[in-house]
Amino acid sequence: MPRKKRTCRFCDAKEVYIDYKDDKRLSRFVTEQGKIIPKRITGTCAKHQRQLVKAIKRARHLAMLPFVSDSIR
Amino acid sequence: MEKARLYETTFIINASLDDTQVDAVIGRVQDVIVKNGGTANALNKWGRKRLAYSINKKTNGFYVNIEFTAPPPLLASLERSFQLDEMILRFLTLQLDPKALAARAKAQAAAAAPPAADPVPVQPREPLFKEPAADRKP
Repeated sequence: MPRKKRTCRFCDAKEVYIDYKDDKRLSRFVTEQGKIIPKRITGTCAKHQRQLVKAIKRARHLAMLPFVSDSIR
Repeated sequence: MEKARLYETTFIINASLDDTQVDAVIGRVQDVIVKNGGTANALNKWGRKRLAYSINKKTNGFYVNIEFTAPPPLLASLERSFQLDEMILRFLTLQLDPKALAARAKAQAAAAAPPAADPVPVQPREPLFKEPAADRKP
């Protein structure tokens, strides 16, 4: 059975800006270890992946997201 | 005279301070903004939150977000005052870009008009091509 084609969920939602402030949303694009999930897995488009990465890094700076998760340390 | 720009700054205050001391720190930051020719537009206190990792051996922080308009040279003095203030653990200052404002306007519009809003009535569309016989004159 062919796998369903994933679409970028930011494009689906017609998102224009990914905010670093909603960490709950960003945490869905981060593994349990705290790594950013590549776009080949999440299906995010290149444009939104770039915005997402920036938002995640800003959130990390403000300690809203971990650089390395506690469970690993 | 340089053009004033719209910025936002988020900073983390040591959460072991009590509320009056936290307010004093916020007041100091606002002072810096006002004294250097800026105006604070909005102040959001997100309150005490657990930090994702410890900063200076602290595990909790009081998050504050201030939105302000200011001439660009203000940022240097603002960031210097952040660095000198020992009660401020982290800060992040950004210029608010039009996209962020657009996204916020959209979110506010969505919040103001809940999804129960009735759908836009479909307008009867003009035919794309006019009947050739009607307007062609011999």
